[in-house]
Amino acid sequence: MEILLQTLINGLLAAGVYALVASGLALAVGVVGIVNFAHGEFLMIGAFVSYFLFTAQGLDPLISLGAAALAAFAVGAISYYGLIRPVLAAPELNQMLLTFGLSIALQNLALLLFGADTRVVSPPYQGSTVSLLGLSFGLVPFASFVLSVALLSGLYWFLGRTRLGFAVRAVAQNRLAPGLLGIETQRVYLLAFGLSAALAGVAGVMLSVMLYASPTIGFAYTLKAFAIIVMAGLGNLRGVIPAAVVLAMAEAFVSTYVPGGGGWVEAVFFLVIFVSLTYRSWRFR
Amino acid sequence: MKLTVSDLTAGYAKAQVLFGMSLELGQGELVAVLGANGAGKTTTLRAISGLIRPWGGEIRLDGQSLAGLSAARRAALGLGHVPEGRQLFPLMSVEENLLLGAAFLAWERRQESLEFTYALFPRLSERRGQLAGTLSGGEQQMLAIGRALMGRPRILMVDEPSLGLSPKLAEEVLATLARIKAEGMGVLLVEQNVALSLEVADRAYVVEHGKVVLAGPAQELAQDERVQKAYLAL
Ligand SMILES: Nc1ncnc2c1ncn2[C@@H]1O[C@H](COP(=O)(O)OP(=O)(O)O)[C@@H](O)[C@H]1O
Ligand SMILES: [Mg+2]
Repeated sequence: MEILLQTLINGLLAAGVYALVASGLALAVGVVGIVNFAHGEFLMIGAFVSYFLFTAQGLDPLISLGAAALAAFAVGAISYYGLIRPVLAAPELNQMLLTFGLSIALQNLALLLFGADTRVVSPPYQGSTVSLLGLSFGLVPFASFVLSVALLSGLYWFLGRTRLGFAVRAVAQNRLAPGLLGIETQRVYLLAFGLSAALAGVAGVMLSVMLYASPTIGFAYTLKAFAIIVMAGLGNLRGVIPAAVVLAMAEAFVSTYVPGGGGWVEAVFFLVIFVSLTYRSWRFR
Repeated sequence: MKLTVSDLTAGYAKAQVLFGMSLELGQGELVAVLGANGAGKTTTLRAISGLIRPWGGEIRLDGQSLAGLSAARRAALGLGHVPEGRQLFPLMSVEENLLLGAAFLAWERRQESLEFTYALFPRLSERRGQLAGTLSGGEQQMLAIGRALMGRPRILMVDEPSLGLSPKLAEEVLATLARIKAEGMGVLLVEQNVALSLEVADRAYVVEHGKVVLAGPAQELAQDERVQKAYLAL
């Protein structure tokens, strides 16, 4: 019973970061209309920002969150302007090849600059645990979860309650009309793509403490984020949170209950994509 | 406000569609642009509102060239465009669609626009909470026109509003355009329904292969032998 509860809690805590990364990807796919395979690299950038601010300046990751968000936003905005915007009207395959290329380029750039080592950010509270109702869990995963929930609430508030958020949702539903209504669609795309990257960047800071920073850390999260948005229905932001919970729970259960589960965890995303797609094609046949 | 299009050329990739389109539209005028499917009517509107970049020629608003301005800037200058296929936001309510038409007006001005639009289309007022995607064809067309009016344009371009509507509804929608004209706006009506358009328009242009082949007062064109033969099946 206790193991079950612990597993549920582990899954739930992990879901926060997953939802953050996947919401970013959903913005890129749903609003900008680009299948971004380089999404995880924005996360990687956030993780390295956290690492270098911590080692060079002694900055707490909590403070690095803002810097990482800004850095990822900037890289995202520049990528949009220089790379994405020119191919928005191009065939989807070209777009995918381009973002795939961007992903590899950013990974190799990080490899050249920082080497392949994994680097952990270890603030004094890194190993602290929180005990609640006889269950214990790490302070960092707990804080990351709370922060993720807060940031996602902010995102939903922005999209649902502000004029600019209104424009973002409009562009997601029709690409042609907003310009005719006086909305600068190029700016909306730029903002959405920057936001998408910033969400990943913030998640990268959290992972730099929970896991590590490395040039290739983004890849697995790109795949997981895709699994989540495929489950949610491409471009459907609302479905992202429950889908993130499902993936994280499934991973937690595999890790706890499947013998040698640690090795299988990283394959769960694939099962999720497979089941979602099969279910859809069966249901909508 | 006066719209002047002169010698416009445009196309898609390498395929030229417009071969020297010229037309004019003044304040308080309802002008029809008529022609067969594929003549280049929609392309003309797209070039005017900045959705595509023309290859050559000039588009001026009160003498000021629109070259290089984004669609949004042109809208802010007073150019309204109800695009082909309506292009509504299907998952948003009627009222949200309308408010997006005035996304960057001050709050009180948006409320005024909303009242004006609901007065013009009482049906939209009844359905204000309903999702746009669930409206009937006629209501969707009213919503598309209403949404374009929300930003207080001084020139309204409407692309085939009667498409897919029953004759009675088509007549109703075109009659609304006449009322919009009476408010002092210039209305540029693109239509394939030539007979109905000539009834409501002041003037008309007939377009073939990307340029104007015939122009004049609507009543005269309705009597013109060539128009009767080619478009009115008389
Ligand atoms: N987006 C597009 N890409 C390529 N060709 C197009 C596009 N839109 C229209 N065309 C072509 O341009 C020509 C004129 O089309 P259009 O301006 O829509 O005519 P109309 O509105 O008078 O029916 C047609 O031959 C059409 O096939
Ligand atoms: Mg057309």
